Amino acid sequence: MTLLALENVDVFYGDLQAIFGVNLHIDQGEAVALIGANGAGKSTLLRAMIGLTAARHGTVRLDGHDITRERCDLVARRGVAIVPEGRRLFASLTVEENLLMGAARARPGPWTLDAVFALFPAMREFRHHNAAELSGGQQQMVAVGRALLTNPRLLLCDELSLGLAPKVVGEIYACFAGIRATGVSIILVEQDIVRARSASNRLYCLLKGRVTLEGASDAVSLDAISQAYFGERRQ
Amino acid sequence: MSYVEAVLNGLMVGGLYGLFGLGLALAFGIMRIVNIAHGEFVVLAAYLGVTLLAVTPLPLPVVIVVVAIAAFALGWTLQATMLNRVLGPNPVPAMVITMGLSIVLRNVLVKLYGANIQSIDIGPLQTMGLAFGGLSIGLLPMLIFAIAVVLFVGVNLLLTRTTIGRAFRAAADDYEILETLGFNRRRIYNAALGLAVALSAVAGLLLAMRSSFSPFSGVERLLIAFEVVIIGGLGSLRGCFLGGLFLGVVQVVGLKLYPNSGPLFGHLAFFVVLLLRQSNLGSFLAWGRK
Ligand SMILES: Nc1ncnc2c1ncn2[C@@H]1O[C@H](COP(=O)(O)OP(=O)(O)O)[C@@H](O)[C@H]1O
Ligand SMILES: [Mg+2]
Repeated sequence: MTLLALENVDVFYGDLQAIFGVNLHIDQGEAVALIGANGAGKSTLLRAMIGLTAARHGTVRLDGHDITRERCDLVARRGVAIVPEGRRLFASLTVEENLLMGAARARPGPWTLDAVFALFPAMREFRHHNAAELSGGQQQMVAVGRALLTNPRLLLCDELSLGLAPKVVGEIYACFAGIRATGVSIILVEQDIVRARSASNRLYCLLKGRVTLEGASDAVSLDAISQAYFGERRQ
Repeated sequence: MSYVEAVLNGLMVGGLYGLFGLGLALAFGIMRIVNIAHGEFVVLAAYLGVTLLAVTPLPLPVVIVVVAIAAFALGWTLQATMLNRVLGPNPVPAMVITMGLSIVLRNVLVKLYGANIQSIDIGPLQTMGLAFGGLSIGLLPMLIFAIAVVLFVGVNLLLTRTTIGRAFRAAADDYEILETLGFNRRRIYNAALGLAVALSAVAGLLLAMRSSFSPFSGVERLLIAFEVVIIGGLGSLRGCFLGGLFLGVVQVVGLKLYPNSGPLFGHLAFFVVLLLRQSNLGSFLAWGRK
């Protein structure tokens, strides 16, 4: 069953159009990767999904409800959560307080503080640290935990691997199986095509605000991806 | 009055100054709003207190609570009906709105109460005092100081132990992310301005029991609040409290030295702090800053 669907979505920042007529959907329990070069519009598309930047034209539907112009906090309450690009923890709050902010307006569901600590056991150790004192990998875990604590049905992950060592990225992606087992759908924005492919059922490739490729992750060839990614066949 | 008494009295009035600063700092820290009408709210609270004491049989503690609640409602309403419309990176529209509001409030107060200087008479408590070790300290200033301390501690608990308090801090850090967690940013802002105005109102009412006021006292109160916030450092409760104490002591001791100096010494001290900060000699004055 379709959880989220975008129909002919245009997104603008003022006069500047960043997304052009995008159609995209994700089913319940599915993991969909969104790939594309810097500035392709991946983050903007996520913002339109959670209501941070409303689409100017077109429709965003969650469970069939039109949420195109719904306020962000109401969309969040319907079950959309985001792990934002750059992690964006609340810098003056401790780790635990950051997590509590995720839990405060949560829907009912499996994710509790204890469940998050079970997913990332190391977090118990630095739960009382200030968010600003953590390493990038630790921050990313907190950002994922904070989003999970809202008990989302749809989790938007924006470049989890940004600025992290490959080993740390591996650890974070290793948790994905456990997260997906709870039935949550995931939209995964990545620049790392190999990782995006292996962690998803389907993928969309975005180029300059337009979808240039979509398909099952194991069916599309790397060649097709690189063509869609860069807009032309590389020699 | 000995100098020791002057210092103690300064500390006690300084607690109130700290509250003035806190109200301003909360609004700026959370919403990035510079509330120019802050001083007028402080004076408005004093007039509301005078009126309630005159026309109702309510005892003083109840009047304080009523004024606090009314001030909270006023702050909430101001944010909900006006300031939430001008949210954004530009702080000027909110300043213009609150500046306009301050002019309106001042003139309404003149119309209603006249331009005369007023004071709140609270009966025998006003003159009661305690004597120990050769010092005599008024009971009222001590009570007022205790209330200020309790309010600071209470706000600290609110900010660290409750969801709404954490949401205030989180909104100051990154309001977009707060929204993605299901919080209505505007509601948070309404509550924050409500709290800020309520704190300042209580402080204003308490100050009115110690010193007289007129519809034009708002500017002076606003100036104190600014000075406290700048001395104490933005975004720090402890800074506000200590900044308030510092100003209070300087002012009262200055008044003892030169009875006609008014708030001059407070302003001078503020100026000196600014200069020291500028020349980086003043790290010893940066206590309490995060
Ligand atoms: N806040 C903003 N204001 C104006 N333009 C923006 C803003 N954010 C992003 N853009 C522009 O929108 C386009 C898409 O950006 P973004 O969605 O961040 O891309 P990606 O996440 O794929 O790197 C880029 O051209 C970028 O410059
Ligand atoms: Mg991006």
